[in-house]
Amino acid sequence: MTQAELRLCSLLLRENFGEIVEKVGNSLLRTGPRPLRLLVGDTGLLPDQVKKALCVLLQHGLARYEPQPRGAVEYEARGERVLRILRYPRYIYTAKTLYGDPGELLVEELLLHGHLPMSSAVARVADRLTETMEGKGKRRHSCDEEEEGEHKAKRQKQEGGSSEPPPDDGIYWQVNLERFHQHFRDQALVSAVASRMDQTSSEVVRTMLRMSEVTTASGASHTQPLSSNEIFRSLPAGYNISKAVLDQYLALLADDPLEFVGKSGDSGGGTYTVNLHKALVSLATATLESIVEERFGSRCARIFRLLLRKKHLEQKQVEDFAMIPAKEAKDMLYRMLSENLVALQEIPKTPDHAPSRTFYLYTVNVMAAARMLLHRCYKSVANLMERRHHEMRENKRLLEKSQRVEAILASMQATGAEAAQLHEVEEMITGPERQQLENLKRNVNKMDASENQVDETIFMLEAFIESTMKRP
Amino acid sequence: MAEVKVKPEAPDPMDIESRIIELCQQFPHGITDQVIQNDMPHMEAQQRAVAINRLLSMGQLDLLRSSAGLLYRIKDSQNASKMKGSDNQEKLVYQIIEDAGNKGIWSRDIRYKSNLPLTEINKILKNLESKKLIKAVKSVAASKKKVYMLYNLQPDRSVTGGAWYSDQDFESEFVEVLNQQCFKFLQSKAEAARDSKQNPMIQRNSSFASSHEVWKYICELGISKVELSMEDIETILNTLIYDGKVEMTIIAAKEGTVGSVDGQMRLYRAVSPLIQPTGLVRTPCGLCPVFDDCHEGGEISPSNCIYMTEWLEF
Repeated sequence: MTQAELRLCSLLLRENFGEIVEKVGNSLLRTGPRPLRLLVGDTGLLPDQVKKALCVLLQHGLARYEPQPRGAVEYEARGERVLRILRYPRYIYTAKTLYGDPGELLVEELLLHGHLPMSSAVARVADRLTETMEGKGKRRHSCDEEEEGEHKAKRQKQEGGSSEPPPDDGIYWQVNLERFHQHFRDQALVSAVASRMDQTSSEVVRTMLRMSEVTTASGASHTQPLSSNEIFRSLPAGYNISKAVLDQYLALLADDPLEFVGKSGDSGGGTYTVNLHKALVSLATATLESIVEERFGSRCARIFRLLLRKKHLEQKQVEDFAMIPAKEAKDMLYRMLSENLVALQEIPKTPDHAPSRTFYLYTVNVMAAARMLLHRCYKSVANLMERRHHEMRENKRLLEKSQRVEAILASMQATGAEAAQLHEVEEMITGPERQQLENLKRNVNKMDASENQVDETIFMLEAFIESTMKRP
Repeated sequence: MAEVKVKPEAPDPMDIESRIIELCQQFPHGITDQVIQNDMPHMEAQQRAVAINRLLSMGQLDLLRSSAGLLYRIKDSQNASKMKGSDNQEKLVYQIIEDAGNKGIWSRDIRYKSNLPLTEINKILKNLESKKLIKAVKSVAASKKKVYMLYNLQPDRSVTGGAWYSDQDFESEFVEVLNQQCFKFLQSKAEAARDSKQNPMIQRNSSFASSHEVWKYICELGISKVELSMEDIETILNTLIYDGKVEMTIIAAKEGTVGSVDGQMRLYRAVSPLIQPTGLVRTPCGLCPVFDDCHEGGEISPSNCIYMTEWLEF
């Protein structure tokens, strides 16, 4: 793993699980699979602590164990899985949009606990839902699952619960991250189609992707062929477009230069597939282009796109095609070259590679650029997290004070104090301090949000790299 | 009867020359040696050669080589009079420059072709320029290079750069303006198509504009002082493609339709970008110029990053 990834992993482990787990995780990530003894030696912690830390890591699926032939068991940390912790908020939000509140809480519980048996998961979710319900008190939003869960929990308590093992002992449930990733990828595809074409085309593509959710393997480069009749039947109920119009949309999608959808035959009114690999490539190159555009300007972006299309060009040709004056074009190309976004290919005319007699062609190596920017993303997220911690540390005193005041307020309200006394306690936090607290909250939220945004870029680039590596 | 012997008179040298000139004028493309021989069979080869040499040195005949051998052609009389005052070297240099046509020729190339020393060449070029027979044109590619061509010739596009260069300067504002105008035209066409709300095939087809339509629009707009051709407009539209604002398709069109070249037509359509600006560039780190120097505990670190401080104040 690269330095940036290691740093990010240790930050994530520290934030979510504490220093001991971070130390153990760090040691495992840096040095690879090792048995327990060596781990204890490396980290300098007590064996008990190391064992507990390993338990935590194993529970969450962040580490693996493998019994070795000579009796010792080796533990190995899974770096990519640690990086997924960054994406938890996105998983939870997606679950909320797809399945509503119970879904959101279920996913959250599973993510927080690693893996759980269903009975305890449902029990927890039910508890939380009733808590929030009691808090609001107004609408009893009863759902069958919740009541059942509630009953089960009550029954267990009545039976003096802990002695009897739950009915599904040994069956643990975990969140399927791969499936979430597929969903994100589909979302990105559909929104790209919507912005390039129109709403209806994006709905058609969404239907096609939904139909292929279970039939297509996650790493496939094409979905299974779908006939136009099937698509017509599966369109969402609200869309009453006629079959002929659907056929036209499909033909348009297949003809579009984007090549997201391809026609693979004529049976059943025309069979169409979604070209997943191509779509990922287009989205990743669009990401790269937008990064170049924001960093260097739109003229540089023009040169970048030009090089992406034409693959290899000489200095003079770049100027001619892009219609940019020679001096500026040269300056921009050299800046991009220094950032390693474009590369030079030398083609010598003579065996002695003399510079005056060599062709120098500019080119863009998409995979290399993608990896480099991915590395930059990791470092950026780590920077944002560091800054957030720093801000929290700086204002620690203030935060503690506000927490104390809130605790006092809560206890006073519980004992029924008068309004004047409450007011006095509130006054303990002065105006400027309140302002500072507001600012702090706003900044922390902003940084959190931007961590999520960078994570979107990370997802795009990772999906692209993975898809390209898988193809033979 | 006694035979009358006709003594072959040595033909008058002047007659030969005028006869040759007449023949040349009869065949403006040039005559070969064979033709002259056929016309005056009694003339000896040597006399013929002398006559032809005299005509060449006087500058009235041009000597050309063709696949069939040597050709003699009558020289343009106007030009012939111009060169009367110059000597052979100048004539040679002038010939070389004339051959270069409207691309012009560099002084070093003249030297190679004529094998004359540099000082001589420079003197001759100055002479010819003062006589207004040739002119020097600065090349747009290498600004120090000067190419020479005949005075009355229009320099070729590759030398002056064509419509985008005015006096050796690349006109970037002109290109920018054209860029924006073309894009606005295509955008409004796409919007009109979108609002028409017909079935999608027609909608898409009507949002396309051929390069010919764009060309006509720009010509009518009248923002260009220089006459622009369809290729020029196509290069502008290509830059819009590289900006990611426009996409192009090529369709097969019948030969007769307006704007088609070799049976194909290029259609352009305005498109909106594929994705919004990505997450990385919305954070200060994505655009930071000192990103590589930044690490925890250093001079530049996330904790004291001034860009972040500014960003958080928004």
